[in-house]
Amino acid sequence: MSTIERPLLPLPHETTPSGELYGSAIDLARVRAAHVELCTERETVTVDGNTAAALATLQMWRCVLFAGFPITPSTKWIETVAARIADEPRSRKRVKLLEAEHAVADYLVGAAAACRDLVFPTATSSVGLDHMTETTRSLGASGLGNVMLIDVYRATANFPLCIEGDPSDTLAHRDDGFIQICARGKQQIYDTILQAPCVGMHADVLTPTMPGFYGIKDSHRSARLIQEPDREIHAFQDEWMRPCPLPGLINGDTALGNCVTSKHFQGFKLSQRRRLENALRVLPAVGASFERRFGRPGLAFFDETGWPEKGGVDIAVVGMGPDFGTFETLRESYQAYAGLRVAGIAMRLLTPFPSEAVRRRLAQARVVLVVNQAHHQGRGHLTLDVVDALSTLPDPPRVVPAFAGLGGADVSEATWERMLEEARAVRDGGAVAPAAFYHEGRAL
Amino acid sequence: MKILDLDQLTQGAGLEIRGDGKAGGGLLLAFQSLADLLAKDPELHVQEWPFFSSARRGASIRSFMRVSRRPVTAACEVTRPHVVILMNEAAARTWDFAEGVPPGGTFVINTHRTPDECARHFRLSGRVITVPGDEIGREFLKHAIGNVSVYYAAAQVVTAAPHEEMVESFMHTLAKRHLPNRVLDSNRAALDATAAAVRTGVFDEAAPGAHMAHPFEGYDDLPVGAQTPLRLSRNNRTADYAPSGFRLRFEDSADACTGCAHCINACPEGIIRFEPDSERGLRVVGVDVNRFCKLCGECIAICPEHLFKQAPFEEHWEEVTLT
Repeated sequence: MSTIERPLLPLPHETTPSGELYGSAIDLARVRAAHVELCTERETVTVDGNTAAALATLQMWRCVLFAGFPITPSTKWIETVAARIADEPRSRKRVKLLEAEHAVADYLVGAAAACRDLVFPTATSSVGLDHMTETTRSLGASGLGNVMLIDVYRATANFPLCIEGDPSDTLAHRDDGFIQICARGKQQIYDTILQAPCVGMHADVLTPTMPGFYGIKDSHRSARLIQEPDREIHAFQDEWMRPCPLPGLINGDTALGNCVTSKHFQGFKLSQRRRLENALRVLPAVGASFERRFGRPGLAFFDETGWPEKGGVDIAVVGMGPDFGTFETLRESYQAYAGLRVAGIAMRLLTPFPSEAVRRRLAQARVVLVVNQAHHQGRGHLTLDVVDALSTLPDPPRVVPAFAGLGGADVSEATWERMLEEARAVRDGGAVAPAAFYHEGRAL
Repeated sequence: MKILDLDQLTQGAGLEIRGDGKAGGGLLLAFQSLADLLAKDPELHVQEWPFFSSARRGASIRSFMRVSRRPVTAACEVTRPHVVILMNEAAARTWDFAEGVPPGGTFVINTHRTPDECARHFRLSGRVITVPGDEIGREFLKHAIGNVSVYYAAAQVVTAAPHEEMVESFMHTLAKRHLPNRVLDSNRAALDATAAAVRTGVFDEAAPGAHMAHPFEGYDDLPVGAQTPLRLSRNNRTADYAPSGFRLRFEDSADACTGCAHCINACPEGIIRFEPDSERGLRVVGVDVNRFCKLCGECIAICPEHLFKQAPFEEHWEEVTLT
């Protein structure tokens, strides 16, 4: 069943600076009505991360086309989506398998540009994301906030190859122009994917999103998930997803990505950057709205643990991903052992980096331990962002860079304790050593 | 046969379980099923996850589980498990499946051997539970896969759930995989058969300090640019990738080998042994199956004289005398 009204032409349309807007070309009410509910009451299920991501996309009425290229290293997101759709004969949703990741990204451009009010998700990983690069850069600049590229973090193209959890793929794509949000744990994966398009499709943002989570460590870890009823999800998203002011490219009289001269290129980039930065304002508002409706924390710049209401801390840890949970587990016992106040933040919003919020949070720390989990020739991607964020403070805390868990290596309790001891030594007046690798309680 | 006091364990730091097996051997399903069963208790927080890489079927893999009444935030691997599961005996040749288990731990082993034999062979102190999962799998599932039985045995260790509940929970997990009804029925029959096949005993065979975790000693000198010999298997016992209970056998009592050399060309491991032959050019005389034969079946498929076959094999366990 086509959701396109017939006859296609002529249709009423109006002129906008971006081209002709055919407001009635796609009957969104019919698309919405065609959605078959996956979940009618709030329920608790036990799922892995890939399934949590699949459920979130399947429950959106605005997700009707699921494009993907399933191959290792990738994610079982597309297989899970396909199986669920096949299980529901009434479903009008469709899976589109493409011949390569690049083709998937190109397909997303065309589909998302045709209808800017629907959400077009895909998922990939590692070199799969790299293969999309030519188009992800264009997507980042396209204004297609209705594209959502779920990245399951795995080491990007490297010798040797490794498919374990490692954010080097997403961190290698920080300048692609996407809003990059890291999730950890099933609930956060699910909730993040429900909220991400609300940020990306906001009229002030119009920037594609790249929610992500760690391969194996989260993609394959099963735990309990609260699944919300579809109607609640729709109500939440409809509150945020207003009709896009830009025309869809459905009638062939509007183009995307025309070649411009240097006279205008810089201006377009400035506009792109400002839209991305607007996410810093919109994301917390979406997160607060989510929390009000569902009673769980919504999107935030970072998770916090151990921060006192008043006063500072001796050591503040900055990390990301599920391994931060191990730090959370041992934080209190280490605090008691060392006689120090220890707190931490787990980064959620990677791009645009929330420098101001990070600066405010870390300003009260004496030493900041930054744990990087991706290969970097310098002090680490996160370290550079944190140092940059702190640079405007008159007396910034000392920053201790560390590397651990590359390629999904286990970050054991002993490793966390060893890194904390390094930060403690600096807190006690020691010199900051060059960024070291830590594993199994040893500095390498 | 509930063995562990789950209530007591989960009030504290929580119950930790680790499993060793081989890719494609069903370890993941056993853990997922066990997690599903435990998660039926709304008071329990259960996390289950595997560790594996891109290695092929037969490579060693691990699975982990944490169960607690508090939210589980720790993401690191389980190194001091209360319960370990050995899904495949060959996996125990790759690493010490009992590493880090404190004395008095629980060991669930998929084997047709007795708990006593296992305790002495692996030098275990604690409760040893054996279940002939592969045999049950062969009988009911037409495949030597022991995960159904191992799930059942492990479930008996950590829950007091009645037989029916353990069976239904497993069937519910299986149903997510969109399997046909006849396969589900076979699995149900395998579960029923397992109930009478679980054996257990308590032993004290570990020497003091046995199964201690080995400290990480660094990476030494790794090859530049990850450049390694193409034939990694020279240093990697890929024979452990083969299905348990079978070995490749070459038999040519009638001197039928034609010297076509198809087997030599097809063997990915280069382990076909041959001699020069004046009439045929060469004559295959055997195959070195001890270290590298993965039982890929290339030689079996290509030999025009059908001189290769997959034959039953049981590894000989030497009796261990503790001093």
